[in-house]
Amino acid sequence: MSVNIEDEWLKKWKEYFLAWYDEGKVDEKVREAMEFATPYLDQGLVSVSGGKDSMAMLHMLASLKPDLKVFHWDHGRWLVPRGVEEEVLRNIKTVAPEAELIIRRYSLGESEVSREVWAPWYREFFGTLRSLGFKYHLLGIRADESHRRSVRGRIAKRDEWVEVYPIYNFSWRDVWAYIFKYGVPVPSVYFRYAKLVGWDKVRFVTFFDREFEKYGAPQLDSVLSWRWKHNP
Amino acid sequence: MEPLEVTFYLKTPIALGFPWLYLDAILINLKIMDELGERYLTPPPKVESTLVDIPDSEIPIKKWKDVYVSSVSIFEPSDVGLQVFEYFKKGEYPFPEGKIRRGSGFFKDFYLRVGYLPVRSIKFYCTCEKDEVERLLKKAPAIGKERNIGFGFVKKVEVKEIEHEWGLIKDGLAMRPIPVAYLKKYEDAVHLAYKPPYWRKEHVALCAVPFTRVEL
Repeated sequence: MSVNIEDEWLKKWKEYFLAWYDEGKVDEKVREAMEFATPYLDQGLVSVSGGKDSMAMLHMLASLKPDLKVFHWDHGRWLVPRGVEEEVLRNIKTVAPEAELIIRRYSLGESEVSREVWAPWYREFFGTLRSLGFKYHLLGIRADESHRRSVRGRIAKRDEWVEVYPIYNFSWRDVWAYIFKYGVPVPSVYFRYAKLVGWDKVRFVTFFDREFEKYGAPQLDSVLSWRWKHNP
Repeated sequence: MEPLEVTFYLKTPIALGFPWLYLDAILINLKIMDELGERYLTPPPKVESTLVDIPDSEIPIKKWKDVYVSSVSIFEPSDVGLQVFEYFKKGEYPFPEGKIRRGSGFFKDFYLRVGYLPVRSIKFYCTCEKDEVERLLKKAPAIGKERNIGFGFVKKVEVKEIEHEWGLIKDGLAMRPIPVAYLKKYEDAVHLAYKPPYWRKEHVALCAVPFTRVEL
């Protein structure tokens, strides 16, 4: 993991999550998630943002099928600073070295406007998924993330594909336990934010993005990620 | 104008929108409020003309090139860690009857996360007109972000003359963002706004980072 693991705070939490791995019977959940995902892997595309959930899922699925197809959406430098993006790509390649990595970049992400408007993002992102033409999309979505996700079910049919959520039944504790147990690399910004907002609330989302203003994300970015505010 | 040390003693923690506060921004904002009176409250408050209305000669802060000789905030005690206050901010208008959208639009609710520091005092260095600075700062009951929910309330302000001019550099360290184009040497540089109003994109330049080593 690309963080200072000697940090006392992190060491303490690593201990906690490793204990939870046994206590919470996370290995049973992992086995179940892998069994659930297996039928979808041959015709499926594994979408990986680089966040903790998708990285944990990728780690599980790559052990089942090393040559799986992985899709990563590059938001562009104004939404994800290049240093963070490079770290994400490095992490994906470390976890799934034999995977076929498909990367597409958001065309507006090279402009600061991308922080203000997000309708074009949705149009381009879903248009890209459509053009890739896969039958199954495997995503690291979890039920306990939001009410909307909890009522969606583990398999969601879209117009042109089916979304499959292997780690749907994982809690945030389970995911962190898995990450610490297997040393799955995640972006180091996680730890900076987790220290302040807590392990349960920390999210890997686009930076300074007004779309997440209602969750208070850009306000914290201005204080914690100020270096990227004007020229990421 | 004389070199000054300005200390704000706080009643409540200070909420931040950036890692530092800028004294020149506080003083100029107070000056604008003073000049405009109630007109200041007429939206939009961010109009460019409000700054243009005040000639440079009336701003009580010394300028070096186009940079004000006034430091960023120095928090005391300095080892206090950032904390987060989370709250749900509702619009100031009462919700009307019937179905309304609260996720977006006029009645949008915000879940805010405010970074704050529970510090006792905040110190700035500047080169200013002492009397005018004292007069203006009496008009600041609170500083920083989220003052409307109680952050950054000021107990008292102390303005004292000092021997050295530390508004730009102190002991070889930059005390504010200084454009690297004005420096002989610098240790660390980032794109930052370096003059008020700090929200203006045109005021952003590659600057030496406060509290890093520089040479003029």
